[in-house]
Amino acid sequence: MHISLKREIKESGPGKTGLIILLLMVGVAVLAPVIAPYDPYQQSTASLLPPSWHHWLGTNQVGQDIWSRLVYGARTSLLVGFGVGILSTLLGTVFGVSAALVGGLYEKVVMRIVDAFIVIPMIIIVILISAYISPGIATLILLLSLLGWQGGARVIRAQALSLKERGHVTAAKSFGANQFYIAWRHIVPDLGPILLVDFIYGVRRAVFMEAGLAFLGISDPTVVSWGMMMRDALSFSYLNVWQWWLVPTGVALSLTIIGLTFVGHAAEPVLEPRLRGVEIA
Amino acid sequence: MLEIKDLKVSYGGDVILNGIDLKLESGETLAIVGESGTGKTTLGLSIMRLVEGTVQGTIRFNGENLLSLTDNEMQSIRWSQIAMAFQNANNVLNPVYTVLNQIMEPMVEHRLKSKEEARDKAMELLRHFGLRENRFSAYPHQLSGGEQQRVLLAMALANDPRLLILDEPLSSLDAASRAEVVNLLKETDNHRTKLVATHDLDTAGKLADRMVVLYGGKIIESGLTRDMLSQSRHPYTRALIRAYPNMTTVKDLQGIKGRMTRPVSGCPFHPRCTQAIDICSKEIPELLPTSHGREVACHRGGIITLLSTRNLSKSFGLLKAVDSVNLHVEGGETLALVGQSGSGKTTLAKTIMGLHQPTGGAVYLEDVRVGNRGKDFFRKVQMIFQNPGESLSHRLSVLEAVMEPLEIHGMGTSEERENKAIRVLGEVELPQTEDFLRKYPHHLSGGEMQRVVIARALVLDPALLIADEPTAFLDASVQAKILKLLLNLQEQRGLSILYITHDIAAARKVSDRISVMLDGRIIEEGPSNEIVAVPKQDYTKSLLNAIRI
Amino acid sequence: MNRRNLVTYAIAFLFILVLNFLLPRMMPGDPLMAIYGDEALVAMTPELEAHLVERFALDKPLWQQFGTYFLTLFQGELGYSYYYNATVLSVILGRLPWTLLLVGTSLLLSTILGIVLGIESGWRRGSRTDRAMLAGLMSLNGFPDFFLGMLLLITFSVTWGIFPLAGALTPYSGLSGLGLLLDVLKHLFLPVAALTLAHLASGYLLTRNTMITVLKEPYMLTAKAKGLSQRVLKYRHAGRNSMLPVVTQAGIWMGRVVTGALFVEMVFAYPGVGYLTYEALLARDYPVIQGVFLIVAVSVLVINFLIDLSYPKLDPRVSHAH
Repeated sequence: MHISLKREIKESGPGKTGLIILLLMVGVAVLAPVIAPYDPYQQSTASLLPPSWHHWLGTNQVGQDIWSRLVYGARTSLLVGFGVGILSTLLGTVFGVSAALVGGLYEKVVMRIVDAFIVIPMIIIVILISAYISPGIATLILLLSLLGWQGGARVIRAQALSLKERGHVTAAKSFGANQFYIAWRHIVPDLGPILLVDFIYGVRRAVFMEAGLAFLGISDPTVVSWGMMMRDALSFSYLNVWQWWLVPTGVALSLTIIGLTFVGHAAEPVLEPRLRGVEIA
Repeated sequence: MLEIKDLKVSYGGDVILNGIDLKLESGETLAIVGESGTGKTTLGLSIMRLVEGTVQGTIRFNGENLLSLTDNEMQSIRWSQIAMAFQNANNVLNPVYTVLNQIMEPMVEHRLKSKEEARDKAMELLRHFGLRENRFSAYPHQLSGGEQQRVLLAMALANDPRLLILDEPLSSLDAASRAEVVNLLKETDNHRTKLVATHDLDTAGKLADRMVVLYGGKIIESGLTRDMLSQSRHPYTRALIRAYPNMTTVKDLQGIKGRMTRPVSGCPFHPRCTQAIDICSKEIPELLPTSHGREVACHRGGIITLLSTRNLSKSFGLLKAVDSVNLHVEGGETLALVGQSGSGKTTLAKTIMGLHQPTGGAVYLEDVRVGNRGKDFFRKVQMIFQNPGESLSHRLSVLEAVMEPLEIHGMGTSEERENKAIRVLGEVELPQTEDFLRKYPHHLSGGEMQRVVIARALVLDPALLIADEPTAFLDASVQAKILKLLLNLQEQRGLSILYITHDIAAARKVSDRISVMLDGRIIEEGPSNEIVAVPKQDYTKSLLNAIRI
Repeated sequence: MNRRNLVTYAIAFLFILVLNFLLPRMMPGDPLMAIYGDEALVAMTPELEAHLVERFALDKPLWQQFGTYFLTLFQGELGYSYYYNATVLSVILGRLPWTLLLVGTSLLLSTILGIVLGIESGWRRGSRTDRAMLAGLMSLNGFPDFFLGMLLLITFSVTWGIFPLAGALTPYSGLSGLGLLLDVLKHLFLPVAALTLAHLASGYLLTRNTMITVLKEPYMLTAKAKGLSQRVLKYRHAGRNSMLPVVTQAGIWMGRVVTGALFVEMVFAYPGVGYLTYEALLARDYPVIQGVFLIVAVSVLVINFLIDLSYPKLDPRVSHAH
């Protein structure tokens, strides 16, 4: 594929927008200690205050500064998001490529398992397990990755199958290269664009999942999460605190997901060149 | 019914049609012939206004200019007055609807029939085109290529259009089906005006009364189909016919030199034309009428007559060796002069060359009467003889022999002459090494010697080569190669050849026309495949019988 | 398009069963506690405890336990919930219709709307309308359904009071007939809106993308040559071919029908299976959670299987794929 991923994203209006949003979020997450004036966990008696110079977004029911929590929440979302993204794409690559290269019974078994997992909705398994275990961040990342790599694996395997037939692979085989070498040197590099798209959508799914689970109250309560903030805000929906509590949080979450969507959408033509052309400028 | 004036179609900077003029009478079938990419499908599509890109000019259908109609007006004309049977490719039919449904659709949508009537008519059409009943409710992908083609034809006739445009209607059919469909289109659908776009001359011949040939976005020849196929007047048409085998073809296949390139200034064919002159690269020739309803777009009026004789006679005392001979050789063609020894054929050749003075009649070169043969003449006409050994001086090396004509004519510097000679030796497929150039004739084989002779004859770039029994002294396998060489040279250089032989079997493999000579007179003459298939004179028959064992 | 066969479904089902089986037994402490949750402590008598131990074969080796578990399951026995004081099955079945109503309605709406918008957008590809719709819907896609739900709830129910705040019915209203229907619809409106809006984009994008490829196909030129109107070209020819992937996707979504509304039900306290799951989660009512899980899993498998069977009817080319 000679379609440059960088170019695809640069040339697309939404792609650029998405990238900017993401960079903004990452910046906020990284610079959290600097931008957040308060410790997000520090409670006080100044609860449910409206926005003021001291508290830009007011305070929540236990007197915590909402703006600080918002900023630190970015860390959680992005940490889980990228963590799951990397791990699940990795697993998808390992299983997808190995299935394509090894073939035979191994491939059949792997693909059956993949199909089986795709069919089951992830969220219910996570809820079930969380009901018993109450996962921390690390466990959550692991869990989401284990349940999410299958979708990418199908696409990766399909692509690896076609790459396997390329001339340079046959040549390498004739030089005596083994499967690992071929996979590492010839197949995976050419998978680059697909892996990136899979990664982006993996991150998006994970960000959504983490927020959703926090919203349900299942995830780690010791960690600041946008989902949890929204959950708390919900119980006070009869007051007008939602304006500075719920909305900014929800918007932050939505923007992150939108940013990922836009970047992913811009990168998609790499997989399906026929979609190229006039999009949004 | 249909009149197209100066139609120009371009898409994205490429000019596809560059000024097309066409007339189609009611009830006529016109074939638009061209190779792939020449715009014949575009022509069909532009009549229906389905072309993307810029369209200029006028297309008059029953008096109305289709290009000036609104979208809605055009929409109602489509498929009710003008319909198109598309070329059968993948996915030309919608994969999610049955074929019966798709034929019914235009009838119902144009409000010409109710659903029941449409269904009946659709089934009738499918039956008419030979589709089996149990395939009526099939989906397109379930049908074979031939069945799909029948569906496309039936669908085109759904609303009984006044004008039917067919794009390669026979291409996906096997021979038996083709015959069937041709019959359906010609006999039972005779009254309908049709436009057939095809690259296959056979299809054109079977379906169309008249034919136009497209090249480079222009019509380069038009006329009655049968006439054009038996005697084309444009170099491209002739080349096209030569490239297409059919059951009557006898001459070996030849291609057209070069490749189609775009854009081209002047005549679109001139880069590949072997009789192009200066003006051909500058001005586009207009399509002008010649005779018998034929029109040709060529600055030279079509294929030129290179050499002709009028009542040419040569007697030696009382012996009339050549008796009032009328023959002509056209540009880029091979005329075989067949006769036994003593028929006067060599004498005729020598008379044409000026080695004998004629006792009557005259020789014309490019329509100019030839008097004394000067250097100009010999630059245009060259001759090679039977015995290569005698034709080459054993004092001259290969290189010197080939360079000789250039020296006689004083052409170029010594170095240029040498280079030219070496190039021509390459053309006749001889080695161009130092070693070979220094060889003497007695070092060469018979075939090699004859090639040197040909090279020598070609070095002046003649238009006509007179070859008198050039392979008489050669083995059969070598003979084959020499004949192939001559055909290649004709393809590349547009060389005309007057091929003199007693061997009518060899003659028909290299010639476009054959003249049979007996006792100094031409007793029969015509296209090679006709002479061989239906000889009229007894002598000719006997010649042919002699080679049929 | 997937052609999953029975083996795939069998594996999925097995995985679910094993997971369901192992989880409570892997927890530290008394497995019975893990199976029944904290409530059980309160209500359990020693005889009941012994009875349950026997029933679950808790004193037998693991594989025998699984056998028993498997058998009980097949008898349709999902256990008993001490929290709700009813069998798990009855609890779930009581809530199921509401979820089906909610998810079914929004699925239908978002699919149809998504297809229509996708067709119109794809037809006008590159125009301002298309670009605006694309940007708009992709942005909408980024809003999680619970956030949309909350915004709708706060705007329409809390602030403007047009729609009710929670539930599927007005309690103790004693309505019937048309009045009942209107009540149901009033309660249904916002949750359906939230869910529809949240999932509109995926159907739209898929249809639009398919439309773009379909419009390039030769049969579109053929259709245009037939002098058919724009509407017929757009919907009968292009649209019909473009909706196939979306309908499959809708099929996949139907599989997730039970969990699809989880968050929205929670926001609107809509008494479906999703809200039940949430409640059970809070109360650590394991039998119910497990029961929901099983029902969800099985329904997903069955529905997907049915979808796979019906796909050839929609796309005639498929039946000949093998």
